[in-house]
Formats: sequence, structure tokens, C-alpha cells
Amino acid sequence: MFFRILKKDLKRKKTMNIILLLFIILCSMFAAASVNNIIAVTGGIDHYFDMANVPDISVTLSKKNDEFEKELNELSSIKEIKTEKYFEITSSKSFIHNGVRLTNFINPANLLADTEMALNYFDKDNNIIESVEKGTFYATIPFTDDTDIKDGDDVTVRLDGKELTLKYMGYFKGALFSTDPSAGPMLLVNPADYSTLEEYGASQSLLGDGKRLYINTSDTDAIEELADQYDSVYASTREQHRSLYLYDMLTAYIMMAISIVLMITAFVVLRFTIGFTIAEEFREIGVMKAVGIQSGSIRGMYIIKYLAISVAGALIGFICSMPLQDMMMKTVSKNMVLGSENGSVMGAVSCVGVVTVILIFCYICTRRVKKLSPIDAVRNGQTGERFGRRSMIHLGSSKLPSTGFMALNDVMSAPKRFGLITLIFALCMLIVTLMSNFALTLKSEKILWAFTIPESEAHIMDAEMIGKMFGDDKDACNKLISDVSDTLEKEGIQGQVSVSLGKNCKSYYNDKTADLTYWVNKGENISKPRIDEGCAPGKSDEIALTGYAMDDLGAGIGDRIKADFDGEEKEFLVTGKFSTFMGSGHTALLYNDVEFASPNSSSGIQIHFDGSPDKETINKNIDKLREVFDTDKIYNTSDMIKQMTGISDTLNTIKKMMMILTAIVTAMIVVLMERSFISKEKSEIALMKAVGVSSRSIIAQHTLRFVMVSVIACIVSLAVLMPISNIIMDFVCSMIGDISGMKCDIDPIEIFVICPIMLILVTTIGAMLTALYTRTIRASDTASIE
Amino acid sequence: MKTVLQAKGLCKTYIVNKRQNNVLKNIDLTIEEGEMVAVMGPSGSGKSTLLYCLSGMDRVTAGKVDFCGKEITELNEKELASLRLDEMGFIFQQMYMMKNLSVLDNIILPAVKSKKNSESRKQTEERGRALMRKLGIDDIGNNDINEVSGGQLQRACICRSMINSPKMIFADEPTGALNRATSDEVMDELTKLNSEGTTVMCVTHDPKVAAKCSRVLYIVDGGIVGEKMLGKLGESKETLRDRERDLNNWLMEQGW
Repeated sequence: MFFRILKKDLKRKKTMNIILLLFIILCSMFAAASVNNIIAVTGGIDHYFDMANVPDISVTLSKKNDEFEKELNELSSIKEIKTEKYFEITSSKSFIHNGVRLTNFINPANLLADTEMALNYFDKDNNIIESVEKGTFYATIPFTDDTDIKDGDDVTVRLDGKELTLKYMGYFKGALFSTDPSAGPMLLVNPADYSTLEEYGASQSLLGDGKRLYINTSDTDAIEELADQYDSVYASTREQHRSLYLYDMLTAYIMMAISIVLMITAFVVLRFTIGFTIAEEFREIGVMKAVGIQSGSIRGMYIIKYLAISVAGALIGFICSMPLQDMMMKTVSKNMVLGSENGSVMGAVSCVGVVTVILIFCYICTRRVKKLSPIDAVRNGQTGERFGRRSMIHLGSSKLPSTGFMALNDVMSAPKRFGLITLIFALCMLIVTLMSNFALTLKSEKILWAFTIPESEAHIMDAEMIGKMFGDDKDACNKLISDVSDTLEKEGIQGQVSVSLGKNCKSYYNDKTADLTYWVNKGENISKPRIDEGCAPGKSDEIALTGYAMDDLGAGIGDRIKADFDGEEKEFLVTGKFSTFMGSGHTALLYNDVEFASPNSSSGIQIHFDGSPDKETINKNIDKLREVFDTDKIYNTSDMIKQMTGISDTLNTIKKMMMILTAIVTAMIVVLMERSFISKEKSEIALMKAVGVSSRSIIAQHTLRFVMVSVIACIVSLAVLMPISNIIMDFVCSMIGDISGMKCDIDPIEIFVICPIMLILVTTIGAMLTALYTRTIRASDTASIE
Repeated sequence: MKTVLQAKGLCKTYIVNKRQNNVLKNIDLTIEEGEMVAVMGPSGSGKSTLLYCLSGMDRVTAGKVDFCGKEITELNEKELASLRLDEMGFIFQQMYMMKNLSVLDNIILPAVKSKKNSESRKQTEERGRALMRKLGIDDIGNNDINEVSGGQLQRACICRSMINSPKMIFADEPTGALNRATSDEVMDELTKLNSEGTTVMCVTHDPKVAAKCSRVLYIVDGGIVGEKMLGKLGESKETLRDRERDLNNWLMEQGW
């Protein structure tokens, strides 16, 4: 008997049942895809490292160091050492594609012969690369980033006037090679080609041959301690290598957050839809109660109905989640080899979760059945009792046009329903605007201070030029400043030149030691650095420390710390606390007259043009300097920051994807909600038509309700945007370096015009097109309403 | 007397499961200004369909319907809506009202929507209250529609149908959902409105209700098979009971 009622119900209330089914599909789709995403991301790095045979610790020797290797081999904790030799090509200009020199990467490219491979490297289809054919090469992603190099293209390597042409076979994935666009690319070649290029480039190499040691050991600390005793020896544990995937993880977590928001959205709408369908059936519930069917049985019938719909929806949703998951994982899987062993199982489990949640919703919604007496249910209204309160506004006293009043009245009469829709729209809008703010901030000139670089408009990032400072000569940087300055004068460009250099030194305070990056700005343009507490160092024995560095050493302002500088112990007085991205935030800022040899890092050569020139003049000067210095790696401040943070473009891509996704989700919510509203309000629509209200006016009323909600959502999201942006930005910055109090930049046109217009437009069009369906409801339907 | 509504050769056919169902067959009908016409007949005879076709709520399959000089079968949906808003009033068996509006707001909604009057919102509200006072429900204006009785709600529906001073009121079993006492009260109000000059057409099953009308049409299988002129209530010395008896006898003759 119940099943006959159920069958009839599924047929008779087709529209609402289809809407419900669509939402369940949407919900299961996002649930399954996000669960897979979470699993792949959280366990992804370890899985990848295992597949690639990443050891417990790796050591990079940027030059030959027999003494270190000898001491290393004497350590008893060592289980296994694998060695990889590489050769550096300092500039991207040495690579020519289609007759044009590459300018896309700043850092040197490393060449590795296939016989030297100590770890497993993977091609783009995740197959382990066993060997590289002569005359071909694979490269990591930064090599082709921003170029039109395709698989099978010829790339010529020109070193010291000699050329070798190699065929590009596609990108490869190396677990310990950064895929950041600003990172130096790694090229995998045949040993014969390696030897040829090594021979060609012998005179070009500034840093010499390098070596990487991959060590499995029971005591990583011992190796780290040993590495600390030598210059140009850098040790990184397996755990530290995880930071290479910081941005991938960040992207994946953002995608995960987005999918969770979408999932919550789908659940909220689902809750409404179930509420609507049950409210429509109060009369039937009353009749069943009146003939003596018990509440439990009635509830059971509805629960079986929703179980049937939700199982069907969850199944379809699970199938649809697969392409969605692929899309979500695309950015991450490009850089990593991800396992998907448990993905499908967990996806199915999450779909079962969706069905359970729906049944819980259904159970909660049908609670009313128990409360209602048969008479209540039968008597209440035409299609069921309205349990809400009517609006507080009155048509007689309102100044609004009647259609506007009706729309506002509808919104105010169901504050919970429209409030939740507002919240969903606000969340969608917030995600897009947050992405926009982050992308803009991480390339904004306003955050130049965070790189501890003096105020400047042009930045020379050419590795060949910067490399001149990386020698043993303490005076090399002054010489470079003077050379650049002379060139500027010769070319008639008025400006001051400075350089920023970093040197990693072992530091001590009481019984604590730490590896800190000592940062110094030198040159003609030394503006006072930004200091958070205390004051900037004013003498050569004074320094400022970041919060992280203070924590590392347990030192504070006024304390005296010691550091090993080129084998000499120096003492510094801590005069202040500052914030910086440099040295991952574990940094000390020196006074600008301090000089040291063999720096480890530099943020380039900066030029501060005289007379505050406009953007056009700056770009003209930069173009001229590019010609003069024969390099494309001279950037304006915004582009330089983009290169340094390396995440702005990713965030921009996510933002664009989010915009599309928001538009789709908003449109779906609007269409499905409006369609269920029409179904629920059929009697009222027919009545309005019967009393002479035109179809146009009814469509306008229905559209206006959503427009009002989307406008409120825009206001709400914009009101909370800046505080939330700043909080999240602080969190992101604390992962990049030791930066706090970062204020997000904002693009007013995008935030206050484009995004709200997009949301309001999608809502308006979606609601209006769906509301056209009200035209099919006739005035005479008033008589046939149940 | 002026003709308010005239139908000629009115037909309405529904196609159900590929089968043609002729609900109204070639109906000719004229209603004069100030008349109060009752339409009676067995269930499924086409009474309500006739009402909806005459009021433009439903489209006719064939024939012509002239309302105050306008051929409504030739009007588009927008013009029909405007005509219903300004010139017609509707009362249904169920007391359909907008759930989100108070009783008073429901009543004045058609007036606010209409472009017929240039009065202010305050004046419209005052007119709504005056109508409610007239029908004895002025104390429920700010109530929710769930907070009032069926009789009060149906009187509120009459107020709504009257708010734009229509030329004609169409009532589809206006007392069908009410008890006898409330039904009498509602009919008294309609009779009063009719005596003030509003033309009324009313579908009913109840001879007591029909006895208050000036003319009764009897419809069977989509065609008008009988017509009884009762004259205006109170115009002759005939009591309501006499009219009812007379009407019942006539209905028995018609096969009621």
C-alpha cells in the first residue's frame, strides 16, 4: 500500500522530486570530489616521496668539497649515500627556441645526465624515466613556463659560441625540484650530450659543477650539524623538502575550501527543498492521520521516498564527481605523482554520507508530522500551513511600488530561508574577492618593504649580473654598483643603485644556536628599513632580528648575539625587530656598511630613479636598460614581487576559475530555488493572475527577490572582506616568511564593480529566465489547486 | 438596461488522454447590468468552466464573449489581466489569499496594482478599511490570514473583489466551504452589493443561495437547459422562503 502511494507521489510531484534529485547529485558530486581531494593532498607528498625514493636527508654542494665528503663518510649513522652530479648553465639566454633566446627563468638551469639519476624521476604520464635518448632532453616545468615550447620542439643550447640542438621530450617531475616559475629548471639529458655541453660551457659556468648527495641515515641531525660547519654546503631533511610543495598544498587547500563551501551550499539548499516538499504534503499527512495511520508509519513513508531519491542522486553524483575531481587535482597532479588507490572508495563513502545526511534532514523535517493533529494538517491553508510569520511591513504604509513591496515582503516573511540564500551568495562572492585581493597584494608594489629592499622602481634579476657578487671578493658588490651606476650615467638615466645580499651564518646566544640569513642593503640608495619595534641598526655591530630569529635564539632587543662570519666570530647588539619574507623569516638585518664575501642569496640590483617618474617613464627606462645590459630580466617592482612570491599567478588562475564556478553555482542555486518556489507558490501565482496581476509583474516580483538577496550578499561580503583578507593574508605571509600586519591591496573596480555586477547579473538572469515558467500557470488554476 | 456580458456560441473542449471532452457546448448567454445570476447544475456539468470562460480566466475553444463592449476572446494575456484587475471581481470557494500579507494588505493589493485610481496608498488603505467596516470585519485588518475564521476570510475576499469597484463580480461557489449561518451572512453581503448596482454571477449548488439571485440558469452536460427568472429580492411581496420553494420545484422539474 505504502509503496503504491510512494510510486504515485514520485510521479505526481515530479518537479519537486526532480529538483531534489538535482541537488542531491550536486551535493554528492562535491562531497565525493572534495573527499578525494583531501585524501590526495594530505597523503600525497609522502606517497610521492616514497615513489621517488626521497632519502632522509639530502645535501647540496655548490662546489667541490672533499673534506666535507670525507667527514660525512666517517659518520657511523649513514646507511646509504647516492650521488648526483650536475652542471649549471647560468642564464636562460643560452637556450634558443625558434631563433629566439629564452628569457623566462631567472635562476640557473641545472643539467643532469640520465646515468647520474639517484632518485626516480617521472614523465608527465607518471612513468619512471629510465634513460634519455641522445639528442633529446626532458625539463622541469619552469623551463617551459611562459614560453610556447611544445613537446617535440628543437631547443638549441649556445655556450661560448658553440651550439647543440636537442629535442624537447616533455616535462618531468622530480620530487626535490621546485616547480615554482621563479625556480631554476632542471634538464635531464643523455650522458653524451651532457659531456658535450659541459665541455662547451666550461668557461661559462660561474659556480662550477655541483653535487647532490642523497643520504639515508638514522641521525639526520649529525649531518645537518656537519653541513653547518661548511660554506656552500646545504642540508635539507625529507620534512624540510615538503615546503617545496607549499604552494601546491595551498592551492589544493583553497580548492578544498571551495568545494566544502559548495558542499555546504548544496546541503543548505537541499534542506530547504526537503522542507518545501514536506510542507506541500501537510494535507495528505492530515488525511492519513485522520484515517488512523500512525505518525511513525507516515514518517517512514516519506523517509523511504527520500531514501529512494537520495540513493539515485548519490549514485549519479558519484559518477559525475570523477571529472570534477580530475579538474580539482589538475594543478597539483602536474607537479606531483599522486596515488588514487583509496579515492573511489572514499568517494563512495562520502556519497553514503550524503544519503545519511539527507535522511537526517528528512527525519528532522518530518518531526512536524508528529506534532500536528489530523485537524491541524487538514485544515491548514490550501497547500499546508504556513508556519512562519508574515512580514512586518504593510502595503498601505509602504512607499515602494507594489511589485517591489511584494518582493521585499516575501523576503521578510521568510527571513531564515532568504537569509541562508544570502549567506551562500555572500560566501561565493567572498571567495572570489578574497582571491582577487591576495593575487593583487602578492604582486603589489606596496609590499616591497616585506622583501627588505630599498625603495626602487627597477630591479635587475639577471643571474649572470647578480653572480658577479657571489665570489670571495668582499668588494665585488661595490664594484657592481659602481658599474651599473656608470652605465646609467652614460645612458642619461638619473638614478641611484643598490644591491641586497644575504649570507647564511651560524648564530649563537647563550646556549642556543640558529642558522640565520644576515641581510644587508648596500649602495647609493639606502632608505631606512621598516622596523616594527626598537630601531634600525645604525652601526656595523648592530642588527635587527625578525620574530622568528628572536625565537630561534631566545634573544630580544638589547641582547648581544654572536655569529660566525667567514670564519671570524662577530658580536652584534640587537637594536630592533623587523619583518621580512627573506630567508624564510629567519633573518637578521645588518647595517649597510657591513661587508662580507661569498654571499648565499640576493634579491638583485635595484635602481631608484630620480624625480619620482611616472609608470611610462619607468617602463621606458627599463626597456632601455634591457637593451644596454642585454638582458630581459629587468623588472618593474610589481613584476619583481610577482617573480619573488611566485603565487600571484596561481591565485589569479584560481580566482578566474572561482569566478566561473561561482557563476555556475549561483545560477544553479537560483534556478533550482526559484523553480521550487514557483512549485510551492503555484496557488498564490494563480490567485494573483486571477485578480488581474500581470505575468510581467509576477516575473518581476520573483526576480526582484533574488536581486535583493544578491545585493544584500554583496554588501555583507564587502563589509567583511577587508578584515578577513588581512587575517588570511597574515596567515599566508607567515608561511612565506616572518611577516605580520600585512594589509591587503584592493582593486576597487574588480571588488566593488565587476564582482557584484557578476553576482547580481547571474542572479537576475537566472531568476528571470526561471520565473518565465510562471507564465504556464493560468488564472483558472486557482480552482484546481489542492 | 445595458448589457454587461454577452456570450455567443461559446464552446470549451479539453483533450484528456487523446479523448475530446466537450465541457461547454454552444452556449448563448446575456447578462444585463445589475443582474444577479446564479448558475446551477449537477457536478461536472461545466458551471465553473462557464464562469472562467466568461471572466477571461480561461480561453474558449470557440465562440465570442463580449464584456462591456470588449471582445475578450481577442484580448491578449496582458489585456485580460488588466480587464480582470479593473473591471471584474472574483470570489472563490476556498478563501485563497496571499499567505505573506495581512488581511487588509490582501484586500488592497488589486487597488495598489491597478492604474485606474490615482489615489495615494493611504487613501487606498482607507478605502479598504471602509469596505471591511461595511462587511463587519474591520477589526481583523492587521491579522494574519490564519488567525481569522472562514466566514471572516470569505468576507475579506468579497472586499478584495470590490476594491476596484468592478462592473461585475464572478463568484465560484462562494459559500461552498461555509456553514449555513456564515453562508447566509456572505450571501447577504453579495445581495447588498448587487442592490447597490454591481452585477453578480454566482455558481452554486445551494438553492438557498440561488434563491437570493434574480435569475437562475440550469446547466447540464455543458449546455444551458433551463432558465428561471426570480426577479430582484425584495422587489415583490414574495418572501425568501416562497422563492426557495418556487426554485426547488423548478429545479425538480429540471431533474435536480
